[in-house]
Amino acid sequence: MGKKKNEENLKGTLVSVFLVGFIILIMWFGAYGLYLSR
Amino acid sequence: MGMHFHRFEKIWLIFGMVSLIVFLSIVGVSAFAMDQHPSGGMDTIDPEKVEETPPFDDPGVRQIDEDTYEVVMIAMAFGYEPSQIEVPAGKEIVFKVTSTDVTHSFTIVDTKVNMMVIPGQINEKRYTFDEPGEYLVLCNEYCGAGHHVMSTTIKVVE
Repeated sequence: MGKKKNEENLKGTLVSVFLVGFIILIMWFGAYGLYLSR
Repeated sequence: MGMHFHRFEKIWLIFGMVSLIVFLSIVGVSAFAMDQHPSGGMDTIDPEKVEETPPFDDPGVRQIDEDTYEVVMIAMAFGYEPSQIEVPAGKEIVFKVTSTDVTHSFTIVDTKVNMMVIPGQINEKRYTFDEPGEYLVLCNEYCGAGHHVMSTTIKVVE
């Protein structure tokens, strides 16, 4: 049960870091797209 | 006894490594296969003799061939020489810039021409203007009290 609680806590962490990661991806491709368009 | 990675840690590490490989691949292919890279050139010049060293002894626009024009410009505090230039749209323009005093930049607004202008070095960037009009050139590198007014325009004609 303790292990399951830890798993749930880590799920929240994983979602958060993936959110940050996707924002980074979007910003990267956005900046690259701007560069290509100019 | 090996290192143990939590499943989520493995997922995150894989995501990070794949992202890095994707970024490096895109930048690498565009640099080497599509010739898209930062402005460069390793040419050097004596900054105290710029105005007597070709091609900077005659700055301005000159036609190289049917589809290529060369623009030679000198950056100085606080302007560019020549102050008025006109180039054709649809032709490749080769900008060659150097500085006679401090570090400036040569940035054409709304284009990808954005390069440092360093005394002692000649920086070069090739660009084709698709649309005619007047393009603002700004200095984006702090160069002194008049930095904020350092600008010029490029007139692009049909």
